[in-house]
Amino acid sequence: MRHAGFTWHDGALLAQGLGVSLGLFAGTFLIGLVLGSGAAVVRHFRVPALSPILHAGLELLRNSPVLVQLFLVFFGIPALIHQPLAPLSAAGLTLSANTAAFVYFIAVAGLDAVGRDQVEAARTFGFTRMQVVRHILAPQAAAFAVAPLVGLAVNQLQVTSLVSVIGVMDLTKAGDILNLRTLRPFAVWTMVGALYFAAAKTLTLLGNRWERRLRAHAAPLEL
Amino acid sequence: MIAVEGVVKRFGAQTVLDGVSLAVAPGEVVTILGSSGSGKSTLIRCINGLERLDGGRITVDGLDVADPRQLAQARRLSATVFQLFNLYPHMTVLRNVTLAPEVVLKRPRAEVEAEAQALLASVGLAGKADAYPAQLSGGQRQRVGICRALAMNPRYLLLDEVTSALDPEMTAEVLAILGRLAGRQMGDGGTTMLFVTHEVEFARRISTRIVFLDQGRLIVDLPTARFFADDGGLAHPRIRQFLSKMAPSNTVAGAEVTV
Ligand SMILES: Nc1ncnc2c1ncn2[C@@H]1O[C@H](COP(=O)(O)OP(=O)(O)OP(=O)(O)O)[C@@H](O)[C@H]1O
Ligand SMILES: [Mg+2]
Repeated sequence: MRHAGFTWHDGALLAQGLGVSLGLFAGTFLIGLVLGSGAAVVRHFRVPALSPILHAGLELLRNSPVLVQLFLVFFGIPALIHQPLAPLSAAGLTLSANTAAFVYFIAVAGLDAVGRDQVEAARTFGFTRMQVVRHILAPQAAAFAVAPLVGLAVNQLQVTSLVSVIGVMDLTKAGDILNLRTLRPFAVWTMVGALYFAAAKTLTLLGNRWERRLRAHAAPLEL
Repeated sequence: MIAVEGVVKRFGAQTVLDGVSLAVAPGEVVTILGSSGSGKSTLIRCINGLERLDGGRITVDGLDVADPRQLAQARRLSATVFQLFNLYPHMTVLRNVTLAPEVVLKRPRAEVEAEAQALLASVGLAGKADAYPAQLSGGQRQRVGICRALAMNPRYLLLDEVTSALDPEMTAEVLAILGRLAGRQMGDGGTTMLFVTHEVEFARRISTRIVFLDQGRLIVDLPTARFFADDGGLAHPRIRQFLSKMAPSNTVAGAEVTV
């Protein structure tokens, strides 16, 4: 049995993989956040046709495995358009849409949790429905949504590891390569796991700080 | 002028407002009395466009509230103070007051904030500008609600039982402010008030006119003194009954009232 030791090059490989994972996560989470909240606003305004169609589509996405969605996009779309799809594009597309689905349901719950009475007050003061969303509903819905969104973010970060299956050079794929070369699975996967953990923990800490800021108004009396 | 003409409002099979007509001219302080469920809140909600009418017409300075465009204009003329305050909990007291003038009236922030600070000071809340609604007492919250409405420089102030969620002490502090406001505005073409209240004595003191809603019908519309006269409002059995329930000791049948 031939063991190869770890080299500087391995560190670079892991760092690169981590970069891809974080980049993919950040990009798709941001897109998902925008699309999901947008869809929630569409639902809030009960836009005819669009709103039920979006709801049904996002419901489908939320209730099917990401891996299946990934395969559907990576293998299914090229078969339809007769053109290959790069693994990273397929991964980006799938994770964005999947995140959007979860964000949508969180955002809808957040919007619904804001008291109707303030909305009525704002309407009588002449705010348009869009101004009500912007100044009254969105900030409070965001405060309700941060905790579940942070949970979602941590989960979606882990979910990015699935894209290694279709050949994206992410952190998990880097671990895979390293493992095959060094044949030291315990060390390699511990290291990979620790990197995911560090990233997730940082996310949680950032999220908590954000939540404290958004919930400043609900802070205990400081009189 | 707020003109309510033959307004009908139904919730399902229930007719809550049954042909209500009422005119509130500039400078007037009009109080709506009536027992619980008679449609007082619904009438206010029809005037500020929160309910869709099933019949009749409401105009505010000629603007028809049933038309979305005109309603948007009408809403700049009137402001509502709510029973449960309906403040924006995620905003400071100051922001609660300045938001609508800034966003709706598009007035410059510095100017609006200066005015808001003055308003808050005038109701004894100078030190609370940066507090959040959750950090205030009910009476303080309602005073913010009043400032928020006044910051719009409304021609018409609509008030729906603004003290009924408050204890007697807080009620007194809020009524004192409203009394001052009514006294200052009465007859000078300033803020005109349409009140819903169960504080009969207060209504008697500040109103120019009192109307009585009974099961969705406006059965009496009289100048305040006439409303409390034996051959005026008190000639109606429903009103006598209502007043005796509201304040049994001092409102029935022309008994002397200390104000
Ligand atoms: N959104 C609604 N849906 C169904 N019924 C309603 C609605 N709002 C009011 N009602 C009914 O309309 C009637 C009048 O209600 P409204 O709130 O106008 O009475 P009110 O005179 O303000 O009473 P109170 O003194 O208790 O505030 C009541 O019977 C009430 O149940
Ligand atoms: Mg009411």
